[in-house]
Amino acid sequence: MRRLASGAGDTLFSPAHTTPVQVCPTMNDANSTPLSPDDAILSLDGLAKTFRVGFWGRPVQALRGVSLTMRRGESLGYLGPNGSGKTTSIKCIVGLIQASAGKVQLFGGDPGEAPRRAKVGYLPESPYFYDYLTPIEVMEYVGKLYGMSARDRAERSHKLLGQVGLDQAAKRPLRGFSKGMLQRVGIAQSLLADPELLIWDEPLSGLDPMGRKEVRDIMAALRADGKSLFFSSHVLSDIETLCDSVCILDRGQAVAQGRLSDLLRSEELESEAVAEIPSGDNRPAAIATLAALPGVVLTDLPSGVRLVLPTAQVPALMAKLLELGGFLRELNQRRDSLEELFLRKAVKRDQDGGAA
Amino acid sequence: MTAIVTKSGLELHTSGAFAMLRRISAVVGNTLREAGRAKLFYGLLGAAVMLLGFSLVLSDLALVDQKARLVQSFGMAVVPLVCVGTAVLMGALLLHKEIDKKTLYAILPKPIARGEFIAGKLLGLCALLVIELVALALVWWAVLSMRGGQMTGPIVRGLALHVIELVLVTSIAVFFSALTRPVLSGLLTAGVFVVGRVTYVITDLLAARKGLFVEVPAMRAVGKALVVAIPDLSTFAVADPILQGWDVPWSYVASASMYGLCWALAFAVGAVLLFQRRDFT
Ligand SMILES: Nc1ncnc2c1ncn2[C@@H]1O[C@H](COP(=O)(O)OP(=O)(O)O)[C@@H](O)[C@H]1O
Ligand SMILES: [Mg+2]
Repeated sequence: MRRLASGAGDTLFSPAHTTPVQVCPTMNDANSTPLSPDDAILSLDGLAKTFRVGFWGRPVQALRGVSLTMRRGESLGYLGPNGSGKTTSIKCIVGLIQASAGKVQLFGGDPGEAPRRAKVGYLPESPYFYDYLTPIEVMEYVGKLYGMSARDRAERSHKLLGQVGLDQAAKRPLRGFSKGMLQRVGIAQSLLADPELLIWDEPLSGLDPMGRKEVRDIMAALRADGKSLFFSSHVLSDIETLCDSVCILDRGQAVAQGRLSDLLRSEELESEAVAEIPSGDNRPAAIATLAALPGVVLTDLPSGVRLVLPTAQVPALMAKLLELGGFLRELNQRRDSLEELFLRKAVKRDQDGGAA
Repeated sequence: MTAIVTKSGLELHTSGAFAMLRRISAVVGNTLREAGRAKLFYGLLGAAVMLLGFSLVLSDLALVDQKARLVQSFGMAVVPLVCVGTAVLMGALLLHKEIDKKTLYAILPKPIARGEFIAGKLLGLCALLVIELVALALVWWAVLSMRGGQMTGPIVRGLALHVIELVLVTSIAVFFSALTRPVLSGLLTAGVFVVGRVTYVITDLLAARKGLFVEVPAMRAVGKALVVAIPDLSTFAVADPILQGWDVPWSYVASASMYGLCWALAFAVGAVLLFQRRDFT
């Protein structure tokens, strides 16, 4: 993994003879260019799933109409708290379960058709493999299912197991493996057939900080090589830096989706600013002016003022500060603001639901 | 065959009959490997060997000219029964284990059709049963020759018939294990096996002039349904005729095999249809 993270030359994900192309569209053309059907490698259209539980078949709505489109080369974070339906969606995408309503299109077709899944690398949530096999044997088996030649299987599994740091354990049965080691086996097998699209369910959960960093490095390398990544997480901060766009799921519904940068800029997000204003007689008036900005919460500090305000109000704040002869000392996007956005959306939906 | 070539030039051979056979044989290989490590399998094998050894001890008590005969009839009962027991028990666990241990979740999303997976599991277990049958037959042969008996042509052909029966019982077991939980599916398979061994009795009763199956309409319907829905496994039970000195000609083996394999195919197709609808949550 360290070899991979160093990023020099011949990484497994992109052999030296191919030039990695940057397929991620830039922020602007995401809005202006219409999506050509070729570009959409994965789309969910009103995906719904109702489970029947218990003797009477009581319905549990795990998904209630999720729609999203993923472009080739995009890295999409699928976020939501536990039980929000991430795993259920992913299982629909890889054909383990069938949707109750709506449609999944994988490379333009039904994921239930086996050949379509040849270009997909799937990592299950807390993966399990046959515990009597060694990592090499798992890779052999998986490679056969992908129709790889014996030589390719041996070469790729050797390389990949090395990259996930399992070279020492490659010939030991999985029986004694820790969760983190199994996760590495899972990652290696998902990459075996050099898939175009990676679908990883909670790749960072259950790992220690070191392991998380290593997996994040792998994901960054894959992304740089133009692979498409679809991965779920319930911890936003874990993946913020890894995805172009996010889809936030709550109780089976997508509550926010889009480019991460757009969401972070959206008016509902908050920033925290520390500003200095001239002291003296004008100070109370200046403070009153700033406090009058919409949505601002102002705290008077000995050295200045601290303001928590909607990110959309930042330009107005700066204009006001110029007028008043003050300046901005610090400006931060509140770290938890996307999480708060998510919470607000959830609360709002509850209220709407209650009113309806 | 055209292969999928990935961006880095890796060739994936996923289409065509050959690719399909390779996938199925990968599943067969893994199934055999897993079954080969099951304690249950060795338990049954050990029990069978002990029973055969026991027949050796018993035969010491028999009259001189009856010694070989005793070992013969003992093996004729024990060998197939233990193999059928293996088929029922391991067949019931075959899919359950994959689901319970979640190993299936990493396999089914690969470019393998569910039907291919079932075919691989089924054939893998069949292969194991053939190995078991051959191993037990060899032990039996050794015991038999110690008592001056022989592995005759009819006995060998009888064993061949049992192979077909095992294939059929395995596909019944897989059918039920695609349908329901292991305990129930094991019981159902065992039930079908027992009823299948005696369907000819029901057929006779239905054809009789009097009796429950003739006089009670409901029983008649049940009887008819059983006869239609359950394969006649007595087709493969040739121990008694062989012991009485009858021959089992190859022509009979051939027609009985056709019968058994058609039924096996029907159950296998049913298993695939059930399995294809299933959600793996
Ligand atoms: N097999 C099942 N039967 C009934 N309910 C289920 C089943 N699988 C998942 N659910 C329910 O569906 C919801 C979504 O679950 P899941 O997709 O696993 O969420 P996540 O992966 O986001 O944690 C949960 O409320 C869960 O209880
Ligand atoms: Mg989950």
